[in-house]
Amino acid sequence: MKFFSKKSSKKPTRLFFATDLHGSERTYRKFINAGKFYEANVIVMGGDIQGKLLIPIIKESNGHHRATLQGRVEHMASQDELTALIGRLDTLGFYNKIMDEEEFRAISADPKAVDKLFHEKARQKLSDWVDLAEERLNGTGIKCFVTGGNDDEWDVLSAIKREGAQSLIACENEMVMVDDDHSMISIGISTPTPWNTPREVSEGELGKIIEAMAAKVPDMDKAIFNFHDPPKDSTLDTCPMLDWTKDPPTQIVQGGQVVLYGAGSQSVRAAIEKYKPMLGLHGHIHESQSVAKIGRTTCINPGSEYGEGILRGCLVNFVDGEIQGYQMTSG
Amino acid sequence: MATATARPEVFTRKASGLVRVMSPFSAFVYNILTMGLIFPWTYLWAPGALPGGKLVWGILLAMVIEIPIAFVYVWLSTALPRSGGDYVFQSRVFGGGTAFTVVMSGYVIWILQWVALSGWLLSYLGFAPLFLGLGATTGSAAMSGIGIWFTTSTGIIITSILNALVAALILISGFKNYVRFQTVMIVGTLLAFVTMLVVLFLGSPATSMAKIDSFALAVSGTQNFVQTAIDASVAAGVDLNPPFSLLATLLVAPIAWTSLQWATYSAQQNGEIKNARSFNSQVFIIVGSLIFTGILLAILAAGLEKAVGTEFLYVAGAGYWSGVGEATVAGFWLWPNIIAVALTASPLVVVIIGLGYILNSHQIVHNCYIGMTRVMVAMSLDRLLPEAISKVDEKRHTPANAHWAYFIASIPVILLYNLYPGWVGLTLGVTFACGYVFVITCLAGALLPYRAKDVYEASPGAKYKIGGVPLVTILGATGFILGGVMVMMFMLYPQLGLTSALAYWVVFGVLAFSAIWYFLVKNAQKSRGINVDYAFKEIPPE
Repeated sequence: MKFFSKKSSKKPTRLFFATDLHGSERTYRKFINAGKFYEANVIVMGGDIQGKLLIPIIKESNGHHRATLQGRVEHMASQDELTALIGRLDTLGFYNKIMDEEEFRAISADPKAVDKLFHEKARQKLSDWVDLAEERLNGTGIKCFVTGGNDDEWDVLSAIKREGAQSLIACENEMVMVDDDHSMISIGISTPTPWNTPREVSEGELGKIIEAMAAKVPDMDKAIFNFHDPPKDSTLDTCPMLDWTKDPPTQIVQGGQVVLYGAGSQSVRAAIEKYKPMLGLHGHIHESQSVAKIGRTTCINPGSEYGEGILRGCLVNFVDGEIQGYQMTSG
Repeated sequence: MATATARPEVFTRKASGLVRVMSPFSAFVYNILTMGLIFPWTYLWAPGALPGGKLVWGILLAMVIEIPIAFVYVWLSTALPRSGGDYVFQSRVFGGGTAFTVVMSGYVIWILQWVALSGWLLSYLGFAPLFLGLGATTGSAAMSGIGIWFTTSTGIIITSILNALVAALILISGFKNYVRFQTVMIVGTLLAFVTMLVVLFLGSPATSMAKIDSFALAVSGTQNFVQTAIDASVAAGVDLNPPFSLLATLLVAPIAWTSLQWATYSAQQNGEIKNARSFNSQVFIIVGSLIFTGILLAILAAGLEKAVGTEFLYVAGAGYWSGVGEATVAGFWLWPNIIAVALTASPLVVVIIGLGYILNSHQIVHNCYIGMTRVMVAMSLDRLLPEAISKVDEKRHTPANAHWAYFIASIPVILLYNLYPGWVGLTLGVTFACGYVFVITCLAGALLPYRAKDVYEASPGAKYKIGGVPLVTILGATGFILGGVMVMMFMLYPQLGLTSALAYWVVFGVLAFSAIWYFLVKNAQKSRGINVDYAFKEIPPE
C-alpha cells in the first residue's frame, strides 16, 4: 500500500495550508499555532479572512443585553453570559459591537454607517491578527504567508501589510520564496460568483494576472500556485449550481435534484496545465475538500469549517520540487 | 466597497456562502427508508425464538430506548454539522485510534454483510414473493417456478451480486442519477407498505387460514397447509399459546433495533443537509423519523396479529427458528409480505407489494454504498486507507474507486452469507456491530462538553442543562447504558444468534483486524514523517 513516495536524503520542507477563516478568531489562533503544533516550517493562509456578519449586542434599559444569533434572540443578564456570547461570536467569525438601542437604530437606518462599522471592525481584527502573529511566531523561524480572497476588500486587506513585520508576510500578488528552493505566487481574486463579492474579475482578466505572476517564477518545477480560486472541474470546486438572478442566490433543481457542477476557474486550470507547478493551494469552495492531480501538479483544497471553530488544513512535505506526502488535518 | 445592508438586529455584507443540497424533509425520508420498513426479522425471528414476547411492546420499547440515543445525535449533528457522522464525532472526542477501530469494524466491514442482506432481501422477499404470488393468483406454474428459483442459493447469490453491481454503477455514474431513482424507490416502498397494512387489517384469522391454504396449494401443491403446519409445530415442541414473558418481550427490542437504530443515519451526510446546525431541524430529522417509523412497525405487528392471530405467528416462527419444514411454503418462510400476498387474490396487489419490497431492498444497498464510501474517503484523507480510495471522478463527482473497492469486498461476504454453514446465523451481527458504534458515539456525546469544549460551547445545544450538567451528557450516558445493554444481549442470549464460536471469532476478529490495521498504518506513516494523529488532534488556540 503506497501512502507516500520515497524519502529524499535532503530534509523536506513541511508546509501547512489553511483557508477561508472568515473572521473566526478561534481558527485564526489555531492557524498561528499550527506551525509549532505540526512542526511545519511554513504556514500559508489562502484567503477569505474577513468576516461576513456583525452582531450588534444591544444594551437594554435594565442593564441586560440581547443579541440575535443564528436566528435566535439571546438575552444576557450577567457579565459572564455576555463574555460567553462574545466568545461564541469570535468562534463563528462574527464581529460584534455593544451599543444601546438608540445607536442601533441610528446605524440600522444608515447603510453607510453599517459599511463603515464593518470596515472598522474588519481592519481592527486584521491588525490584531498581525500583532498576534508577530508575537507568537517571533524567533520560531516559522514563516507565515497570508493572502486575501474574493470576499476580502482591498482597503481592509491593507491592514495586514505592515512595514517591518518579521513573521507575517502579506504575499498577495507577490512571488515569495518559502524555502531556499521553492517559490510561491499568490492570487486572491476570483472569477464572478453569484454573490457579487468585492473582488471578482472575468476569466480573461484572471488569466492575464496569472500570466503576469507566472513570469516572476524562477523555476516552475519548484513552484507553488497559491490561487484562492480552484481549477475548474477538478473536484476541488464541486458545489450546487445557483440561480444568479435571485438575492440571495438559490440552488437550481432539475427533475427534483440539485444540480452540482465545478465552480472553479478555467484560467486557473489552464495555467496549471501549462506551467505544471509542483503544488496548487486553493480554497473558495468550503464544502469541496479534496486533493486532485492535474498532470504532475498536486492540487489541494482543505475546505473550511471556521463556523465550528475547527481549523481544516493540509500538511504538505516537499523537497527538490517533489511532493513527498500530504495529510489533511482537522485541528 | 462592500455593499452592507441592515437586517433586524444583524448586519450582513455581501459575501459568498455555503449552499447545502438536502432539505430536512428529504433527510427525514432518507432516515425512514434507511430504517427499512421491510426488515422482517422482528416478525418471524421474535415469535420463533422468543415465545411469550409481545411484538408491539418490544418494538415500542426499542423505539423508546433509541430516543435518548437519537437526541445525542441531534446534539452532535448541530455541534459538528458535517459529513462523516460517527467517525467524525468519535475522532473529535476519542482520537483516531478508537474512532478508526470502532467505525472500520462496526460500520465499514460489518455493513458488507448488509450488502449481502440487501441481495437476500431483494431475492427472497422481493422477487420470490412477486413471482410466487403471480403464480398463485394467475395459476401459472412457470411463475411459481421462477419464484422458487429466487429462494435457492444460486438465485440469491446471482441476484445479490447484480444488486450490488447495479447500485455501484448507478452511484458511480453520478449522485444525481441515484437521487432521480430514489424518488421512485420512496414512492414504491411507501405504497407497498400501506397496501400491505390495508390487506392485513382487512383480514382476520377466521378467513385468513383458508386463504393461506389456497396459496400453499397453488404454490407447492400442499393440502391443508395450516393444520399440517400447526400439527408439525406442536410435535416439534413449539408452544402455540405461551404465557406472557417479560424477558422475551425485552429481547424483542434488540431485534426491532435492527431497524430503529438507523434513525441516526442522516448524520453521515450532515454536510449536505440544509439547516443542519438547527436544533429543531435535527430533532425533526432524527427523532421524528424514529418515532414515525417505530409507530409504523408497531402497526405492522398489530396488523399481522389482526390478520392471522398470535398462534399462527408462532407457527410461522417455528418454520424459521425451529426448522419445521411443514411450516414453510415450499421451503419458503412466512414473512409478513408473504402472508399479505397469500391473503390477497389480486395480482395487482401482489405486484405493488412485490415491487415495493424489490425497491426498498435495492435502496438498502445504495445506503450501504453512500454511507460507507464517505467514511472510507474520510479515512483515506486521514491517510489511514490507501490514497486511491479518496480519488473523486472529476466529471461525475463521485468517489469511484471507493465504490469499486466496496463492491469487490462485498462479493466474498455475499458468498459466505449464502454458502457457508452457520453464517446466516450472524444476520443480526450487523445490528450488534452497528449498535456498538452507536453506543460509543453516545459516550462521545456524553463527553463532548468536556473533551471538545469549544465545539460544544459554540453549538446551539450548549444552553440545555439540568442541575448544571449538560443535557447531552445525561442523554449520552443514558443512551450508552441502554444501548450497551442491548449490545450485550446479543453476546449473551443465544436467541439473538451471536453466541456461537463462529460469531465470537468474527466479532472479535473484525475488531482485532481494524485495530491492527490502524496500528500498522500509523507506524508506517510515522516512518515517513507523518503523524496520523494530526488528522484528529485539536490545536490549542492559546
